[in-house]
Amino acid sequence: MNSFITSNFRTQQASSIITTSLTQLPMNSAIAMAMEFDDTFQLDIADYSSTTTTTTTTTTTTTTDDDHGCNWSDWSPVVDWEALSGGQDDFHDLIESMMDDGGLLNPGRVLANETTSNSQNSVSSTDTMAIDEENNGEDVKGLRLVHLLMAAAEALTGVNKSRELARVILVRLKELVSPNDGTNMERLAAYFSDALQGLLEGAGGIHNNKHLINSSNGPYHHHHRDENHPTDVLTAFQLLQDMSPYVKFGHFSANQAILEAVIHDRRVHIVDYDIMEGIQWASLMQALVSRKDGPPAPHLRITALSRGGNGRRSIGTVQETGRRLVAFAASIGQPFSFHQCRLDSDETFRPSSLKLVRGEALIINCMLHLPHFSYRAPDSIASFLSGSKTLSPRLVTLVEEEVGPVGDGGFVGRFMDSLHHYSALYDSLEAGFPMQSRARALVERVFLGPRISGSLARIYRTRGEEEVCSWGEWLGAVGFKPVNISFANHCQAKLLLGLFNNGYRVEELASNRLVLGWKCRRLLSASLWTSFSLDSDL
Amino acid sequence: MFQHKKPSTMNSHHDRPMCVQGDSGLVLTTDPKPRLRWTVELHERFVDAVTQLGGPDKATPKTIMRVMGVKGLTLYHLKSHLQKFRLGKQPHKEFNDHSIKDALDLQRNPSSSSAMMGRSMNEMQMEVQRRLHEQLEVQRHLQLRIEAQGKYMQSILEKACQTLAGENNNNASGSYKGIGNQGVSDVGSMKDFCPSLNFPPFQDLNIYGGDDHHQLDLQQNMDRQSSLDHGFMNNNVNDGLCLGKKRSSPYSGSGKSPLIWSDDLRLQDLGSTLGPQDDPFKGDQIQIAPPSTDLDSISDIYETKPVLSGSDHTIGDKKYEAPTKLERPSPRRTPFSTERMNPIMNSSGVPHGRNSPYG
Repeated sequence: MNSFITSNFRTQQASSIITTSLTQLPMNSAIAMAMEFDDTFQLDIADYSSTTTTTTTTTTTTTTDDDHGCNWSDWSPVVDWEALSGGQDDFHDLIESMMDDGGLLNPGRVLANETTSNSQNSVSSTDTMAIDEENNGEDVKGLRLVHLLMAAAEALTGVNKSRELARVILVRLKELVSPNDGTNMERLAAYFSDALQGLLEGAGGIHNNKHLINSSNGPYHHHHRDENHPTDVLTAFQLLQDMSPYVKFGHFSANQAILEAVIHDRRVHIVDYDIMEGIQWASLMQALVSRKDGPPAPHLRITALSRGGNGRRSIGTVQETGRRLVAFAASIGQPFSFHQCRLDSDETFRPSSLKLVRGEALIINCMLHLPHFSYRAPDSIASFLSGSKTLSPRLVTLVEEEVGPVGDGGFVGRFMDSLHHYSALYDSLEAGFPMQSRARALVERVFLGPRISGSLARIYRTRGEEEVCSWGEWLGAVGFKPVNISFANHCQAKLLLGLFNNGYRVEELASNRLVLGWKCRRLLSASLWTSFSLDSDL
Repeated sequence: MFQHKKPSTMNSHHDRPMCVQGDSGLVLTTDPKPRLRWTVELHERFVDAVTQLGGPDKATPKTIMRVMGVKGLTLYHLKSHLQKFRLGKQPHKEFNDHSIKDALDLQRNPSSSSAMMGRSMNEMQMEVQRRLHEQLEVQRHLQLRIEAQGKYMQSILEKACQTLAGENNNNASGSYKGIGNQGVSDVGSMKDFCPSLNFPPFQDLNIYGGDDHHQLDLQQNMDRQSSLDHGFMNNNVNDGLCLGKKRSSPYSGSGKSPLIWSDDLRLQDLGSTLGPQDDPFKGDQIQIAPPSTDLDSISDIYETKPVLSGSDHTIGDKKYEAPTKLERPSPRRTPFSTERMNPIMNSSGVPHGRNSPYG
């Protein structure tokens, strides 16, 4: 709470809202749930009473910035209450009927809670007189959304599991938000409630994971990434690159390390786990060609792993990427050849399927979970990394998403961490391009929405018990040795971030690991490893 | 390591010479007095030898030379290297660091303590200089890499365009409405988007290789700018301001921008907030000139929201209530209507240069 007051974060930023609410997490979650439950049918002042601490906090915070083109003048708490209070009775009835069905909540508690909030009505209404700025309303709404989401997550999986309750909360949430409009927190909440809705529906009937991810029934369901039109995906990809350093940070850090590792080599072979559009290699080729005082540009061979299906990583797509890379290389005079290596049907990697040539410096490139990448099964990644260890690569470049420390774990903890993560992403995108709300909405719909629902589905399946181990740690554990990040590489990352917004941070978390963060939240890390033994080489 | 290969201007008169790689794998300069580059591998071997001989204090250049057994390595090289190794001034990273090494080699006078003081002062200075220089180098490289990615991205977009144009033709002659729900309108929007983009064929990428003249231009441009930047490097290193400005050169040079711009909208968007001098793609507007509908129409297809805010409520209610079968009307929420209009009014100016003043 204190950090929230003293921090110079813009008050309406989603991540700070979540930070604030995270500090409230210790609050008995059952009570929190009851309060939010209360909130869903009391709708108005009860909400403010249940979050009294919050209200006072935001009141003390001076909020001056309202420059993001979001017109929130209409979102005056007073007006809102008037509009909402009419519905109070209806909701009350509704919830009560729900409770009869579910019967999981203790009616006594709800009743008690209700009286509390009623008795506080007068108090809080005087409180709210102090709230005269729209931004406060915005923050309050943001917090309310976070609390609702938390309550829904809790209802879905917590001790007092109640799908009916979760459903009601989600209904309420969806009335409050839309994925295309509103503040970051609202749009984010829309995707999260959508994802929760998916879980709810999936959990209700068949345990069909495909259904969770691919279901596209109802207006609130967003398409799986591959279902988006290619033009949209490309446009969003371009936008993401221009709006944020995420893509380039990963690619450039890896490429710089590769360049440093192969400086004396005449033949370089890169095995790319997930080549996608192949955009990473354009800049590497450029750098190889323009290196002035090394040997002339080495021969570069890239082997892209491909898999079945018809998505963006299918054989056809990889082939097209290959053609494009070949043409690009030819245009800049880079000796180049391109190969494909098919993964097995279960996406495992067989080192023997790789064609290796003696005297080539072998590089393993593993871009995981960049914002525009979709999910890869851990088994597949593990098979690739452990398989590549047997090949003694000169360098392994790994870029992965940073996951926050989750206190007690469990679904709700992971859920909140995820919310925090994406709120930082949203905020960073907005800070870079505050005016381009349409552009952001596109990126969010094409990349982030599906990511959110995917990751929630996974957390839900494992109940948050999946070990939260980064692939970097994993590599260290299986015997890869860290390779230091060079000064030039660190410097490059800093310069790159300087092109965007000063909210971005780069940390050298370990000598072999660069982390890209937004404000205090770590988002992506690039780490360098090797299993190449110098002794055998000398 | 890559960066370190670049000669430093600070001591360029002796660092400039080419390096030769001897048959023994040693990297020597072509100076009259050849100096040795302590590569990581070489240093690794050196350390091994020293360890084998019982530590840096017991090992001598002679014994080390014997243990290492590297052809071409002289006592002179080893003496100097061992000295620094004993002083413990060689964290691993700095072994890649040739300029500083070279600078140190220049004034080898380790016996007197005052000379050592002077040396470490000098070392610090050199270090600062070197870092500054390296940052400049990195900056230049970064610039080129960003351009290369931009070019590549452009080729992807171009391809997408062609594909869509193909679809367009098929649809025109075809019997049915098109592909899926988005087919028709997509083609419509892409038709505008495609020809006006007027991407050059792939040869355009020759900017990096084939077209020497252009490359030269670019290079000179870079050099000029970086020498200019050098003056206030201290201030600018971290904010990348100079880089931001430099960005524009590749696009004005090639006459194309990889961005899909919606011209008038962008002007509308940026005009009020950005001074024209900040417009990184100023020179490109005419060439790119995509229709103002590109992103709009693409996005509209997916937008479940009606364009008119007046109908928000009906759609909204339907959406929210249909799956839940609740009979009561959901509360009307006035706040959204303004915001819903906004995207349409503001429309979709696509992000622009990185030197965004908003941050």
